[in-house]
Amino acid sequence: MGLLAGKRIFSIVALCMMVGLLLLPVVVALPSLAIGEETHAGDAAKKDGDKVEKGRDVYYKTEGIVSGAPAPKTTDGVKDYPRYNFESRVLLWFANQQHLYYGSFVLAVPIFCMIIEFMGVVTKDKALAKRYDQLAYDFIKISLTAYSLTAILGGILIFTFLTLYPSFFSYLSGIFRPVMHIYALMFVAESGTLYIYYYGWDKMREGFLKWIHLSMSVVLNVIGTLLMFLANSWIGFMMSPAGVDEQGRYLGNIWHVIHTALWNPLNLHRILGNMAFGGGVVAAYAAYKFLASKTDEDRAHYDWMGYIAMALGVAFLIPLPFAGYWLMREVYAYRQQMGITLMGGLLAWLFIIQATMIGILFLCTNYYLWQAMGRMRGAEKYQRYIKYLVFLLACGFVVFITPHTMVMTPAELKAMGGQQHPVLGNFGVMSAKNGGINVIITTTVLSFVWYMRGNKVSTVSWAKFGNIFMGVFFACAYFNIIFLAVYGYYIPANVRVGLSVPQVATTLSCLFFMFALNSFMMKGAKQMGAIEWGKISARSQYALIMLATAFTWMMALMGYIRSSVRLFWHVNEIMRDNSPWAYTHTVGFAANMISANVLFFWITILFVFWLGSLTAKKVPVESKAGIPGSVPQPAPSH
Amino acid sequence: MKALMSLGALIGVAGLLLLGGMTFDVVPSNTVRLVEGYMPIQLLLEVACFVIGFTGLSYMASAMGMALPRFWQGIGFWIFLMVYLKYRVYPPIPFSVRAMYGTVGLVTVFMWVSANEEDWNKFKQPIMNVLDAQTGMNRLLRYVYLVLIPILVGGFSFNAMMPKSEEPIELRTVHPAPPASTKVHGKTYTLQTSQNPYRVNPEGKYDQEFSNANIVEQGMGRLMKPNANPWDEKNQGYLKYVREGGEIFFQNCHFCHGDNLNGRGLHAFAFNPIPANFTDPGTIAQLQETFIFWRVSKGGIGLPNEGFPWASVMPPWEQHLTVDEIWKVVLFEYWHTGYYPRTWD
Repeated sequence: MGLLAGKRIFSIVALCMMVGLLLLPVVVALPSLAIGEETHAGDAAKKDGDKVEKGRDVYYKTEGIVSGAPAPKTTDGVKDYPRYNFESRVLLWFANQQHLYYGSFVLAVPIFCMIIEFMGVVTKDKALAKRYDQLAYDFIKISLTAYSLTAILGGILIFTFLTLYPSFFSYLSGIFRPVMHIYALMFVAESGTLYIYYYGWDKMREGFLKWIHLSMSVVLNVIGTLLMFLANSWIGFMMSPAGVDEQGRYLGNIWHVIHTALWNPLNLHRILGNMAFGGGVVAAYAAYKFLASKTDEDRAHYDWMGYIAMALGVAFLIPLPFAGYWLMREVYAYRQQMGITLMGGLLAWLFIIQATMIGILFLCTNYYLWQAMGRMRGAEKYQRYIKYLVFLLACGFVVFITPHTMVMTPAELKAMGGQQHPVLGNFGVMSAKNGGINVIITTTVLSFVWYMRGNKVSTVSWAKFGNIFMGVFFACAYFNIIFLAVYGYYIPANVRVGLSVPQVATTLSCLFFMFALNSFMMKGAKQMGAIEWGKISARSQYALIMLATAFTWMMALMGYIRSSVRLFWHVNEIMRDNSPWAYTHTVGFAANMISANVLFFWITILFVFWLGSLTAKKVPVESKAGIPGSVPQPAPSH
Repeated sequence: MKALMSLGALIGVAGLLLLGGMTFDVVPSNTVRLVEGYMPIQLLLEVACFVIGFTGLSYMASAMGMALPRFWQGIGFWIFLMVYLKYRVYPPIPFSVRAMYGTVGLVTVFMWVSANEEDWNKFKQPIMNVLDAQTGMNRLLRYVYLVLIPILVGGFSFNAMMPKSEEPIELRTVHPAPPASTKVHGKTYTLQTSQNPYRVNPEGKYDQEFSNANIVEQGMGRLMKPNANPWDEKNQGYLKYVREGGEIFFQNCHFCHGDNLNGRGLHAFAFNPIPANFTDPGTIAQLQETFIFWRVSKGGIGLPNEGFPWASVMPPWEQHLTVDEIWKVVLFEYWHTGYYPRTWD
């Protein structure tokens, strides 16, 4: 009893420490912030003989006291751009991308752990609870090694900035001085919390202590998310500066500098993106282990692990295009020419590649689910209709990837009779593309519904009505999405943009209503057969690996697009890039660079996985129905 | 079910006969026309009809004990797709886009034939049979492939590497990003916020709704709305300025951009690419009026770097027209095509 009470006290103290660590940066930074600003403003006032100079915020249009130096006007030379005998930008690109990959991974995995640990805590099946707990522990163990790499890569990134772009970094750190200090303190808090969370796992395995442990994961994720928000404020500032005047002088309001036009959309997009990416990486890890497994028990475990990771990743992938749409809308609202450069101009072809990658992600997901139906008896009744889903996906995909600006020879251009193809040109605009992606997502939802009911037959009295209702609901959803996509051509652009709302609402209605209805219908359903974990085709696992590779490739691509949309600006319209590399790379060079980054990441993450496997400990799990490694039974994880 | 499948089979046969006939010029290529305004959705519906038709055909063939092996079904469907894209859609689709569609087609055929284990086994059976070479025929085929495949790969490689005298592919940016502001006749216009000063109601107040309500009907007819005839001398405000814009258009622009604003004017085909087709939903319908104002004022010579290879011969009209005349021409173009300019509210 005494020991238990001691553990409780220890846990509560640990949790309090974490909350304290979370608040520490804010508490420490507040007074320094205030003092810093006053001193700075005071200094400026003294120099100007008590005359306070005021400036106008370039974004918020408010007046503020000039509290910083103007953005430096750099020149091509060793002072502003010291270099080796090759393009400095490529080195920075590489360091940045690798740091971002690992940063995303270590931010996403603790969120997974939190979800999986929670599932383990609330599930009534003790064997399954243990399995979930072990899975979450395995995840965090992997993330711990990746965490060190993230920090190392962060250091490399800062050194690269300091040594190759000193003037720019000096300006940026001058503006973000307090934010960077808070960031550093948050990093300390994140590290402390992560170590307590990881090393306290065994001590807080049961009962009340487990809830305390789970709460720690919440604190850990809050810190991680705030860290990311702070880092996002820097890139948000570079794209859409605020809180400075036209010369780039800081006007004393740090919130304006952080809260730029694109900060919130970037935050949302990155959270969802990180989660989808993390899910993909873990799913690929499980797929690799599945393919390398020697025993049925291992295959069953990794099949299950891959399924869970894929489901979590896809859960965040589905809203990702909508968050991306919001981001682009805000980009257009901020600067029209930036939006056109992205989607209709210089970078438009990269967006077509991005659309292709998004399509591949959804194709892989659907393919995996169809393959997964093969491991449950009774799912055959749905399999013969898969060809129609393939057709719907293909139509949505084709529309989604049709370029507005087609690549062609002058002879083809002449044969076509103009730059716009009268038939396919219609697929190249936003109205059609919204329709395309919504058809793809709705079809993915339908695949999920089929998977969830694959080996079950509803026994509720209203089953027939429910099935007809679901069928009609999906048919109406498809009709509505396609109708709105066509209707979009006949209305003003500002109304057309608004049409995306009912389209998205239709897709999300399918997701939420149909999942809910299906769950009600499948309560107490008759089992047609068991889910035989591990008895899935190897093709499904390659689909998971493809999914993860597409995620990493797309992340690097979008990072490049977001960064290169500034064209020849370090800070858009404030600080010009006067280095010899202030031009946009060719699509081919960018694609090669992205591929090199992806390859390097996968090689290093394999090393991380290998390190994780060195300390792997076998936890005996009692055999019980429904979980991998035991007698195959229907999946309880739906 | 059987009746439905029979109907499907009938559609399949009729579709294939028509496509074959149109491909080999046995029946006129416009037997089933692509209807303007509905072409994109018509295209998808036609392919959907073929899918239904093939399903029916497959069902009927199975019922008659003449089922086509899954391997040939897959290959056949992909070939159909390629033929359809090449010969059905006019004007011809550039190779790059057909290659993209072909790849998607190949991937989806693979997804279909390997969606479950049974289908996958059926699909790969002929390949395995040739590889195993248990019969004389398969053994012969294996030798044929052994010789043929390296020759084909070599041929493709040679063809790809061989220097060509064709004009290179162009990745032209049709709508390059405009500058934040543009200076015309000494006055600076911010493109994000400027408005067409002639988009006004009869009382002379700026009124987007009023002008939107008076554009021509979209579609083939392009009919004027009742009581919205710009050539009616009594009309004031927006419609009066549309008339004035029209006069300027027909004095200066229609020689290249055409009477119907579809880029097929008297001189259009002297250029490659031909002038922009304003009736296409991918041109002015996607842009702010200020974008058009900038493009008209500065012409092809004023295109920014990313507009490379600057394949535009449009003159910088600021040298010939006043600012007011340019705004009125822009007004007329939107009115005539029935499109609304992009706005950000």
